[in-house]
Amino acid sequence: MTAVAERAAERREQAPGDGASVPAQIGVLTAHTVQAMLSDRRLLLLTLVEPLPMLLVFGQALSGLARVPGFPRGVPYIDFLVPALMVTTALQSGLQSATRLTDDLGGGLISRFRTLPLWLGSVLVAQSAAGLVRGLIRLVTLVVLAWALFGFRSRGGPLALVLAVAVSLAVAWGLGWLFMLLACWFRRGETLQAAAGLAMFPLMFASNAFLPVASLPPWLRAVAEANPLTHGVTAVRALVLGRPALPAVAATFALALLVTAVTAPIAVRRVRRTE
Amino acid sequence: MTVASAAARTPASAIETAALGKRFGEVTALDGVDLTVPHGTVLGLLGHNGAGKSTLAGILTTLARPTSGTARVAGFDVVADAHRVRRRIGVAGQFAALDDRMTPRATLVLLARLHGLGHRAARARADGLLELFGLTEVAGRTLRACSGGTRRRLDLAAGLTGRPEVVVLDEPTAGLDPVSRLTLWEVVRGLARDGAAVLLTTQDLAEADRLADVVAVLRRGRLVASGTPGELKARVGSRSVTVRPADAADTAHADRALRANGIVAALDPARGTLTVAAASSRQVTDVLRALDTAGIDPGDLTFSEPGLDEVYLALATGHGPDAALDAAPDTAPGTAPDAAPGGPVRGAA
Ligand SMILES: Nc1ncnc2c1ncn2[C@@H]1O[C@H](COP(=O)(O)OP(=O)(O)OP(=O)(O)O)[C@@H](O)[C@H]1O
Ligand SMILES: [Mg+2]
Repeated sequence: MTAVAERAAERREQAPGDGASVPAQIGVLTAHTVQAMLSDRRLLLLTLVEPLPMLLVFGQALSGLARVPGFPRGVPYIDFLVPALMVTTALQSGLQSATRLTDDLGGGLISRFRTLPLWLGSVLVAQSAAGLVRGLIRLVTLVVLAWALFGFRSRGGPLALVLAVAVSLAVAWGLGWLFMLLACWFRRGETLQAAAGLAMFPLMFASNAFLPVASLPPWLRAVAEANPLTHGVTAVRALVLGRPALPAVAATFALALLVTAVTAPIAVRRVRRTE
Repeated sequence: MTVASAAARTPASAIETAALGKRFGEVTALDGVDLTVPHGTVLGLLGHNGAGKSTLAGILTTLARPTSGTARVAGFDVVADAHRVRRRIGVAGQFAALDDRMTPRATLVLLARLHGLGHRAARARADGLLELFGLTEVAGRTLRACSGGTRRRLDLAAGLTGRPEVVVLDEPTAGLDPVSRLTLWEVVRGLARDGAAVLLTTQDLAEADRLADVVAVLRRGRLVASGTPGELKARVGSRSVTVRPADAADTAHADRALRANGIVAALDPARGTLTVAAASSRQVTDVLRALDTAGIDPGDLTFSEPGLDEVYLALATGHGPDAALDAAPDTAPGTAPDAAPGGPVRGAA
């Protein structure tokens, strides 16, 4: 062995070597992603006021709906509305994770990541974990504003409300993976937004979010009943209104898990593919 | 594990390719490249735009897969053992691989953390690299607000966060000011002294001459020569003769006249000169006779020992004694050329 080989070996010894473990990578990248998210002050501020127009417009414009057939008796429209807004907030939060991902995939850092001893799936997991933080911030903002300014009350008590937030986060998580898969496909933010816009409208309105399903025309009722968002809204609403919620809650968690189990591996495979 | 047992594991060559090929549809970017870079060596890869330098760098850094042949880096196959290769390489590509929204310090800390360093060690590593590349002053500025040279330097620093044993740099000094360039040269020499192997592509022949232990020239995806700068110069001819016709308009005319006599010259239209590798005075006479016959006044006549420029022009454009050069590829660095210097730059008959 020559002196050079020895020095090469020494160099090898000094190197961090195996790189960070996958959980450590996910931790580091999640912290990084959350920090990047929080450091965008303007975005944060917008996020904090965002629920106001929705609460105001939907709360005022649709309050007459409290008289349509099938509407739960004795429930103020705001208590009916807030669960729907919680689930649509989760939907938007998932979309935001995916948009962030297209930014990252279009940027230069990802090509450096490809030369690191890194499991690239970590980038996606970190993004979706950061999405949970984002979702939590948005949901808490929504609930607090609705409570302070619009008289929203959780009839199921505080614990049910916490569980309702958790169910909404499950929806955000599952949809986040679905949208991230689209992000890996489309690569471009604009294309993703267009595709999401196409899906968003029917998802939100062909559901029980703003109207009781019973009040819909039959064909739309069929669509609404098949809409996965309906399950989420049913679960969150039952919790908030203090009604039996267990089956709907379980169904929502199961659905979110199923969507994640199907979309996450495909998304990871796509993002890992070179060339 | 002790250093001794690691030494026993150290592969003979840091980079080893065999019949490496890469096709993009109809385009053959790399064609049968055999290359060996031992530890402690700097290899300068030269070649025209589109010669395949970045393609080779991409394969060695696991960004692209070869379509034929094999490549081993730090002893591991770049396809089958990509993950092990990635643990051991440092990369700075032709285009900066950075996030514009991040600061230099945050970038380096993140990368060091991903390499498995703890908080404190990562920060120390980042500070060391910022210092080394003169980035301390801009360390807290978002990259969007940094100059091109700053990005370039940060990208190079980023490539070294993991203390790599094989370093691949694609045109590392493009866009650097002279001071930064010298710094980089020193860093590269230091890496080699520490036992790392460095492959760097460059368009700057002076850089290759000064920095590289071995120079390899790619032409249209084929390796047309490799050896120490000294060997390559010796192979192209011990000296060259440059003429600058008194009348600049005669330059092209002179080129045709030489070609008609089977002599290929490297034309520099900007300076109006023609350079011909000439090992013996006989060949100088040939040049002069050819010009005289065509009625061209040779004007300024200078003799020079070959620089890498001549070597490169002869090799990369294909107007050179290919046969002689192709016959002796991969001479180990430091050994004397095995054959007598090639003949004069006669046209490929
Ligand atoms: N992704 C790709 N798809 C198709 N062709 C490609 C691709 N990448 C490279 N090529 C082709 O392969 C050849 C080699 O390209 P490469 O980028 O390796 O050249 P280079 O030597 O790095 O050039 P430069 O000095 O301009 O950086 C070129 O003809 C190029 O057009
Ligand atoms: Mg290139």
